[in-house]
Amino acid sequence: MPIKLKSIFGLTFLFIGGCSQLHHVHIGEMDQSQGQLTPFTIKVNELGFDVAKAAEIGSEVAKSASTSEDLELVAFILAISNFGPKTGNPVYNDAYADQVLSEVIKVCPSKKITGLTSVREATNVGPVSGEVVRINGYCINSI
Amino acid sequence: MFKNTLLVSLFALTLGGCVGLNTVSMTQVPAERENIISTNSSSWNFVGINFSNAFVDEAIEKLKSQCPTGKIEGVYTKHQTTGYVLVFKREVIVSAYCNEV
Repeated sequence: MPIKLKSIFGLTFLFIGGCSQLHHVHIGEMDQSQGQLTPFTIKVNELGFDVAKAAEIGSEVAKSASTSEDLELVAFILAISNFGPKTGNPVYNDAYADQVLSEVIKVCPSKKITGLTSVREATNVGPVSGEVVRINGYCINSI
Repeated sequence: MFKNTLLVSLFALTLGGCVGLNTVSMTQVPAERENIISTNSSSWNFVGINFSNAFVDEAIEKLKSQCPTGKIEGVYTKHQTTGYVLVFKREVIVSAYCNEV
């Protein structure tokens, strides 16, 4: 296959592959007996970056064969150095999800919360991703 | 030779597992466990390309509608992915107890 066509195929798959990923879901208990429920959503987001994938893209688009091979090696080294269990792409801030609790507490004027659902998901565009923690829930509007 | 390779590949396909269990979670189980409710929602994709995770919210709405005036307790949530050839089914399966107050 000509190198240009191969690059186009490779890049297309890298960019659309797994565009939206679902990592974890937890559905909590819900009380619909105390009154009307008002839904809310809290979402926190952090930039994730897969440097090995970036090097891989670089090797696909490199003009010369030797540069392409060098970048492939770089991608391989980066990939094995980050090998191990992980959820989504690595981020630069390990506390980005910590604000979720205070946000959830603030959201209901009645202070009564039910039906909390925690979702860990990601939106990927090539080597870059939005690493998302989403909390859906309901405020109980007391009768 | 090609025929043998094809046969071995097909046999190998039957040996391979096709379900990936992503996550499992459970909340406190109530003493009252008579009225069981359950639901599931899913999303199909080709070679893992997805554009939305909205099927999760669908499961919650379905569960809510089965217990409109009670408490949904003991919620067991399972998130799994089943692979067919090149096509994948992401699924959230939920069971719980609906207790009227």
